[in-house]
Amino acid sequence: MTLADIQSQSSQKPSPLLRFSRRVLMGTGFGALALCFGFWATPYGPAEADFLNRLSPPTATHWFGTDHLGRDIGTRLLFGAFWSLGLSFVISLAGLLVGTLIGLVAGATGRLPDMVLMRITDSFFAFPELIAAVTFAGLFGPSTINLVIALSLVSWMKFTRLSRSLAKSIAEQDFVIQARLNGLPAGLILLRHILPNVIPSLLVLWTSSWSRTILAVSGLSFLGFGVQPPTAEWGAMLLDGKPYMQTAPHLMIFPGLAVLISVLVINLTGDRIRDLLAKTK
Amino acid sequence: MKHFLSRLPGLVMVLLGISLITFTLSYLAPGDRATAIAHARYPEEIAFPPELLQAIRDEFHLDAPFASQYLNWLGNVLRGDFGLSYSSQTPVWEIFTANLGETVTLAVSSLGLGLLVAFCLASLAVRNPGSWLDRGAVLLSSIGAAMPSYWLGLLLILGVAVHLGWAPSYGTGSLAHLVLPALTLAFWVMASQTRLLRSFMLEAGSQAFVETLRLRGIPEREIFVRHVLRHAMVPALTMIGLDLASLLEGAIIVELTFARSGLGSLLAGSVLSRDLPVVMFLVMFFATAYVVINSLVDAVQAASDPARNR
Repeated sequence: MTLADIQSQSSQKPSPLLRFSRRVLMGTGFGALALCFGFWATPYGPAEADFLNRLSPPTATHWFGTDHLGRDIGTRLLFGAFWSLGLSFVISLAGLLVGTLIGLVAGATGRLPDMVLMRITDSFFAFPELIAAVTFAGLFGPSTINLVIALSLVSWMKFTRLSRSLAKSIAEQDFVIQARLNGLPAGLILLRHILPNVIPSLLVLWTSSWSRTILAVSGLSFLGFGVQPPTAEWGAMLLDGKPYMQTAPHLMIFPGLAVLISVLVINLTGDRIRDLLAKTK
Repeated sequence: MKHFLSRLPGLVMVLLGISLITFTLSYLAPGDRATAIAHARYPEEIAFPPELLQAIRDEFHLDAPFASQYLNWLGNVLRGDFGLSYSSQTPVWEIFTANLGETVTLAVSSLGLGLLVAFCLASLAVRNPGSWLDRGAVLLSSIGAAMPSYWLGLLLILGVAVHLGWAPSYGTGSLAHLVLPALTLAFWVMASQTRLLRSFMLEAGSQAFVETLRLRGIPEREIFVRHVLRHAMVPALTMIGLDLASLLEGAIIVELTFARSGLGSLLAGSVLSRDLPVVMFLVMFFATAYVVINSLVDAVQAASDPARNR
């Protein structure tokens, strides 16, 4: 079989992984569009109080009901998506970038930097995420920015461990040794040959890290250590609605459902990518 | 054992790193520590004379440079002296042991319940991979992994405690107070472990030696119990060790959701009241427990893995 044959074969039928990635991208784009449409279409603001319509159950004008100040819960859920999904997106992305960088450096350079970097990583890894976040956010004052700093500080170690071990095994493969024998500088080998082979597994880990961070952000906000109540973060909305749990359960049901569904969708997407990756290997 | 000993220097370095991170965190925390101590000692006073604050600073060496403060604190910790709580003036160790029981009870009971259900579900699921039972187990564990535990807790309070009135909702005390928190946490344990056990059992069951045993006419039940299970236990043990941190975190969230006393409530309370000795001890405890347990799991795994013992 010549190279041209292989190329024509692969161009005929996109791999299931590629097809699924396209579908994920389309789905994400559609979700973002729907969110923007929601922002544009809703007649209410996230902080717009209507005291005549307090604690209204779901109706035709307020699809998800109103809260104790008469604010429209549907609108607040939309803005909450921006906070809950957005903040955790940024945090997990920061973890992905920083962690991968440290891991690649540790895995691809000498023994001493590897040892030192990995002991530092292990030390940070020992602190359970939520405990570190509660401590940090509590000591430095509960606020959105302290929540982001706290969760970012403990979000990178998983990526370091994974990228390091992958980089180590890839660095021993023939094509990397070949590149090194050809005199390619170490930085270029890292960027061109090792990084592209590490990315798929890192992305799978990143989806699970993102969904975990969504749970952490909303959980900490619910406990009062994160985003503070007037802001329409989903966990903060739950905290807001908790006193009215018995008389108006819709105040706590919808925000929790929003967290559950987002995390579930992200997890299932990550699982599917992982399965497809395993099949192609 | 040899494997464990070779890991020991690394373990010591990690523990030192943990202590350094913990101390740095408390060192950088905003607010004057002398004022915090004075507030705790004389709760009825509002303003403090500068001489008093200076005396406190001298007593706790608060003016000393970072390195000497750290070494001083580390020396005390190594001697087993964790200091007095600012607010109650009792040794941190006593406060800790008074609260430890509640958290351990919660964690152990939900781990037991969750593992039991997960084990049954996974064993049933792998009998017929792809059947509706198998799919149901996978779906249930996906939902459980995505479920915010504080929300599940609220739903249980609303459904079981408020509407049905079967169990008390908030607080600590009787065994009945344990029911809802344990169920909440057990659901999460069940979800994460069902899926792991299922995949490990499937993997162990698809290996060549199982087929050989089947061809030799060994009954299916015996193959499962004596070979597949034992094979699946080694990786499962590691994962359970790794998930221990998540279990502790889950316990903390559940404690706070149900207003139960325990280490989580203690941590949140002392963080907010700036009781630094208690906070530092708890953070150190969680991190150290995690590292030590993982090293032990690692050692057990190394000892039970025939390929590594050769």
